[in-house]
Order: sequence, then C-alpha cells, then structure tokens
Amino acid sequence: MSLQQIDAGMLSKMFLAGAKNLENKKEWINELNVFPVPDGDTGTNMTMTIMSAAREVTELGDAITMQGLCKAISGGSLRGARGNSGVILSQLFRGFTRRIKEEQTLTIPILAEAFDKAVETAYKAVMKPKEGTILTVARGAAQKAEELVEEGCTDMESFLSAVIKHAEYVLSQTPEMLPVLKQAGVVDSGGQGLIAVLSGAFDAFLGKEIDLSIKPAAGQKGAEGSARENQRQAEEQMEIKFGYCTEFIILLNKTFNIKTEMDFKAYLESIGDSIVCVADDSIVKVHVHTNDPGLAIQKALKYGALSNMKIDNMRLEHQEKLFKAAEASKAGNASPADSTPSAPPKDYGFIAVSVGEGINEIFKSLGVDYIIEGGQTMNPSTADILEAVEKVNAKTIFILPNNKNIILAANQAAELTAEKDLFVIPTKTIPQGITAVINFVPDLSPDENEANMLSEIGNVCTGQVTYAVRDTVIDDKEIKKGDFMGIGDDGILAVGSDMASVAGDTVSGMLKEDSELISIYYGSDVKEEEAESFRAQVAERYPDCDIELQYGGQPIYYYVMSVE
Amino acid sequence: MSNVAIVTDSNSGITQAAGKEMGIFVLPMPFMINEETYFEDIDLTQEEFYKKLASGADIATSQPSPESVMKLWDSVLSEYDELVHIPMSSGLSGSCQSAMILAQDYQGRVQVVNNQRISVTQRQSCLDAKLLASSGKSAKEIKEFLEADKFNSSIYIMLDTLYYLKKGGRITPAAAAIGTMLRLKPVLQIQGEKLDAFAKARTTNQGKSIMLNAIKGDIEKRFGGMTEDKHIWLQIAHTANLEEAHAYREEVLEHFPGYDVHIDALSLSVACHIGPGALALACCRKIQV
Repeated sequence: MSLQQIDAGMLSKMFLAGAKNLENKKEWINELNVFPVPDGDTGTNMTMTIMSAAREVTELGDAITMQGLCKAISGGSLRGARGNSGVILSQLFRGFTRRIKEEQTLTIPILAEAFDKAVETAYKAVMKPKEGTILTVARGAAQKAEELVEEGCTDMESFLSAVIKHAEYVLSQTPEMLPVLKQAGVVDSGGQGLIAVLSGAFDAFLGKEIDLSIKPAAGQKGAEGSARENQRQAEEQMEIKFGYCTEFIILLNKTFNIKTEMDFKAYLESIGDSIVCVADDSIVKVHVHTNDPGLAIQKALKYGALSNMKIDNMRLEHQEKLFKAAEASKAGNASPADSTPSAPPKDYGFIAVSVGEGINEIFKSLGVDYIIEGGQTMNPSTADILEAVEKVNAKTIFILPNNKNIILAANQAAELTAEKDLFVIPTKTIPQGITAVINFVPDLSPDENEANMLSEIGNVCTGQVTYAVRDTVIDDKEIKKGDFMGIGDDGILAVGSDMASVAGDTVSGMLKEDSELISIYYGSDVKEEEAESFRAQVAERYPDCDIELQYGGQPIYYYVMSVE
Repeated sequence: MSNVAIVTDSNSGITQAAGKEMGIFVLPMPFMINEETYFEDIDLTQEEFYKKLASGADIATSQPSPESVMKLWDSVLSEYDELVHIPMSSGLSGSCQSAMILAQDYQGRVQVVNNQRISVTQRQSCLDAKLLASSGKSAKEIKEFLEADKFNSSIYIMLDTLYYLKKGGRITPAAAAIGTMLRLKPVLQIQGEKLDAFAKARTTNQGKSIMLNAIKGDIEKRFGGMTEDKHIWLQIAHTANLEEAHAYREEVLEHFPGYDVHIDALSLSVACHIGPGALALACCRKIQV
C-alpha cells in the first residue's frame, strides 16, 4: 500500500526533488519566454529562487521538523527570489508553509488547504494579477485539490497525480487566456516551472530514484567532492557549452558571508557551470566554466583583489586543470563586523538597479548612493536588494528597480526591512529611473517625493532596441532570429534587419505631439560614430525636439531611448 | 497725516512709465557692459540687453551710486514728508546696505526696507507699501510692517541653461549642486537671503510642474492653505520668454481658478546671471491692513 501521509522527512525529499527537476528543465523553460529577447529568463529566475531554499533545506541535515523545514523553504525562497515568477513562486511557498508548519504530518485535506493558502498569498503579492500565468496554474491545482477532497478522495497518490494532471491541463490552456502566448506558440513559462516543481516532488513521493544533492554551500561536505569530480568529467565528455575555464583567488577586503557567497555563486551559475567557490576568512577560491570570464572577474573584484588568475580556452585545449580545493576550508562564517555606520544617517538615499558603466555613471552623478548591477540579463534577488539597503546609511531610501521583472523583488525587500523607510518607485525602465531621481526634491517629504516621482515616470515613454534570439510572432509582427526589434512600453514598435531604421521607427512610435526631449543611451555594442549619426538622423526628423545622446554602455540593448 | 512716498529700484520690474502711473519712484540699476555704463530702462532696453548678453558681452551689475540715490531722495523729499525705500534683496546685492547707511543722514525721513524681495515680489512690496501709505501709516510703520511680512513670499525660477550661472560664478553653491552629465533645467528657489538649487527637471513641462507643486506646497504649509478669499497674489516672471509666460499663466490658472496672476519680465540684474529663457513662479500673501 502506498503512503497516505507525508511527514517532514518526505516533504523535504519532495521539495528537493522538485527543485532539482526545475533546475534540470531550466533551459527549456527559458526558451518559453514570449519575447525573444536575450533576457528575462524565467527558468533561471525560478531555479535560483528555489535553489536558495533548497540549500537551506539541505543544511537542516537529518533532524528535520515540520517547523524547521517550513522556515527553510519559506525564508530561503523569499530571500532568493528573483524575477516576477521567482517572487510568485516564493509567495506560493510562503502561503503553503504557513498552513502546514504546525502539523506533524500532512493529509489530503491539509494539503488542499495549504494549496489554497498558497494561491491566496501569491495573488495578494501581485498588484494586478494576470490570468494565463503561473498564478492561474497554481489556482487550478488548488481548486482541483479542493474538489478531490469534496469528492472524498482518500488515496494520496491518486490525489497528487490528479492535482498535477489538472495543473498540466490548465497550463495547456494558458495560450487561450493570453493572446501573446498563443501568437508565440508557447505555454506560460512560469506555469511550466511550477509543473516542473510539482512533478519532481511527485516522483520523490513515488520513491523514484532521484539525485537529491543540491550544490552545497562551498566546502560544506567534503565527501561530495569526488562525486562532483565525476560529474564534471562526465560533463567534459559532452559538448563544451562554456568555453573558458576560469580560476582565481579573491583576497577579500569585504565580508563574504553565506549570503554573499550564495549570491556570488548564483551569479556564476547564471553565466556558466562547473562552479566551485570555496571561502575561508580571508580568501575565496573560484572556479567556473563560462563564455565570458570577464563577467566573473568583474563581479569578483567587488569583494577584493584577485590573484592566481588563470583562464584556459577549453575548446582549444579540451583539457582542464581541476581546481583542487574543495576540502580546503570551511565556509567563511560571516564575520559579524557589521559595517555599523558611525556617521548619523542622512535623510534620503537612493538605490538603483542598473547595468552599463555609462548609465551607472549617470545615476551616480544624479546622487544615487548605491548601484545594484543587474537588470537585463540578471535580475537581482531580494537578498541583493536587502544588502544594498544595509549599505546605504539613510533614514528613507528610494529604490529604483528600473525593470518590470525586479519590482516585485524590491517590494519584497521593502517588506522585510524594518529599521529604514523603503519606498519602491516602480520604474520599469532605465529612463523612468533617471526621470524619477531627477525629480527628487530634497526639501519635500518622502510621501510628496513619491507622489511626484510616480506622476513624472508616467510621462516617460521608453523604447529599447535589441535583437531576437529566435523566430516568433508578437503583436502580429513576424520576427526572425537575429532581427533587430524596437520594444516600447506596450509591445513591439519596430522590427527589421537594419538597426538604424529599426531604431528610427522605434523613436517615431514613441513620439507624441507634445514631446520635448528625446534621450538616447547607446549600448556597449554600438560605436560612438554610429550613435552620433543616429542622433543626427533623429535630429533632422524631429527639429522641434531636444535630443540628448549619452553613452550608456549597457549590454544587449543597442539603444535605450526615452521621450518626454 | 504725513505724506509718504514709495521709492524702489528697477529690480522690482516696475518700469519708469509704470512707476509714473502708479506713483512709485524707480531708481534705475546701472550695468557695466564692455566697460560702459548703462541704466536699466533709461538707456538700456530689455531687447538691447539680451542682444548684448547673447553676443557674449561682458556684463557686470553694480549698485546705484550713492549720488544717484541721494539725488532721487532729495527730489522726492522736496514734495513728500517721508519716503520708504524698497531696494532689491540684501541677500543678492549690497544696494540695501548702502542705502541704509545713506539714510542715516535723513533724520528718519528715509526708511529703507530690508525685506529680501526681488522682482515680482519686490514689486508686490511696493504695492503693499503704497496701500499702507494711503491708509495713513508712517514711513517707519510701513518699514516695520513690510519687514515683519518678509517671509510671506516665495519664488521659484526654472533656468533654461546652466551656462550663465556657471559663467557668472556668483551663485556657485547652486550650480555645484546640480553639476551632472545630463542636460538639466535647474529650478532655483529664492527664500530670504538664499538663492539655491531647489530641484531639477529634464524638460520645461517637468520644471513647470515642479514650480507649481512647490508654490502649492508653500501655500499649504506656510500661508494657511487655499482659502475662499484668495489671499494669495501669484506672479510669473521671465527672461525674454513672454510667450511661454503667457502659456504658463493659463496652466497656473487651471490650478488657481479666478486668481490674479501678474506677469513681469525678470529684472536684468537677475537675468544677467541666469540668461534668457528662464521662467519664474512666485506668490505673496496678501497683506491685511
């Protein structure tokens, strides 16, 4: 007879299996993104969210209580939440665990109630819940569960199986609810991620053999070293996906606690694989396979000076020196030398999420205290934002997420902060962020400033020019892989194979009768002369507008533009 | 009842012609342009001034000479018992300080008002003084009244460019606070002695709405809110920007229906530091006589 109740030990296994399954399907889920832009990776965001929780669950060891497990799942996913679907996933977990934490074992009715609580919590976290998304899939599952309870279902296995089947059915219907999905010929990626978690968990319940090892926080379990070694060698037999083996040592000049380590590794995971990251009190050894070693190095430089750097082209050498330090040391337990600011806090501080050295400079020149690198390719987590909040010594802090996929994580950070007043100005684009900070008036109260900024960002139209990563159809426009696309606030404004004319059409799509100023921030892949000639072209076409060209230095987006 | 005259300088925006009509004596401010001296509204019109400013001429402001001040006073006092002298803000010029010293030789017949007004708000002070004089107040009483009332006004000025502010070097703290890579339109505030950066805008419309909100805030917080009796004077001032000023008046009236909104050119001593294309919004609380 199969299991009829789920205890903490089983639930922990199921959770890890769910996390693992999501991770395995990550790339596939990424490809479900509607917009064929090289960013906004739902699979990656959800995986990083759940992995943050999985690590905390793994750290519980064998003595698992329902209380402790719930705390690890809820807290870990909350802190690790990235991207909208990641935040929603974390809220689902939060609601779910809130219902079950007092229980010893879970029965079918309890599970049904917990699903319901999960859905309720997640819907509340989103200001304007949209149907045809992960929320709809979760609600479908919860409703099915309730139905099954009412029908008197008593067999756990058939209960779980029926719930997941129904969730899959709801997922298959998402294109009918969201036209953008239908046109692009995909189902909702967040919903697909949730199914991956549920089916992984179900496999564990059925007792299927699953590798539950979660990439541990470094140096935690020496015994796993050899297993990982094998795995790495196995990977090498396969096609090399990431071409440069990158190794270095960081000589720390900042605290590198579990949280920073987690974030750093999460970042490395986003740019490569085969990650080893071992920290002790003063140094961190790092190993990663990546296609862009520069990114790893840049990120590492934030924590200290680098030494023993070595970068090999594995595609050429197909041979790699393995980093042997797994058992070297213990994870550097956070030295609680908290940078308690001795200076009295100032009244106002600003945190902006930004990418590109030019744009970072602009934000800094406008008085932004702290820049969180990220945005397009990398959504910062709630923990990243909390860390930034810690570093800004001000009573009131305005946060500019500058990306619609980061707003929820920022809101979550605001909820988790007690000692400082956090105002999240829901800026969806870099130009909105710039306008918000420009309109800040130090003499006004926080509420007045918030109101001003909110009303001003409403007057900014943004357009961004990038390239398509695959063929698709959006807004009735056929897009070929490699095409240039101009994306406005409400969808695609222009598509074509000539960048300058796509950028030009994007501007005309944004312009209104009373527009006064066109700002153009050109990216790292655009030459200055190219940008200048584009500016001249725009100036000729719109003689009544002021035009301002600035170096943004952002990756992926050739031009980020705004019209005010 | 003594017979009290009102004297001001051309920073009030009151032209010689308007002064005659209103019964207010206006002392023209001298300018040094390429080392030649001109007097505002006497041998230097607004148009000529902006032409010279645009041509990059070296323009310097200076105080009225003691001689010119005393000459005007003497001639006024030959007809009047007393006079109230309302110079431009002591925070922006030494004119007030000098006038106070000169006044010591007039046995109390000349009362110099140090109420830190400029342009449209200085003009309003002159009108208020006129009203007080006609209600029988002495020069000393008028001076005391206006000085007690000095903070009941507020001015915000949006600049079209930072160029002149930087060039002049006179208002450095404000300029320094707004130094940035982006082209911005700074909004300055004149409040008592202080002329400083208040906020910044990217576009004219943003700047206009910042000023409007700031004035609304001042009225709400400092002047007892918007009331039925419309106890606030509103003013718009500009530098070579009359058309925009008229358009702005329409916008302001949408927020303050039925209010008086006076438009004036900003005085040239302010204009030479901020350049053409600036727009200002000001308010004064109406006095209770």
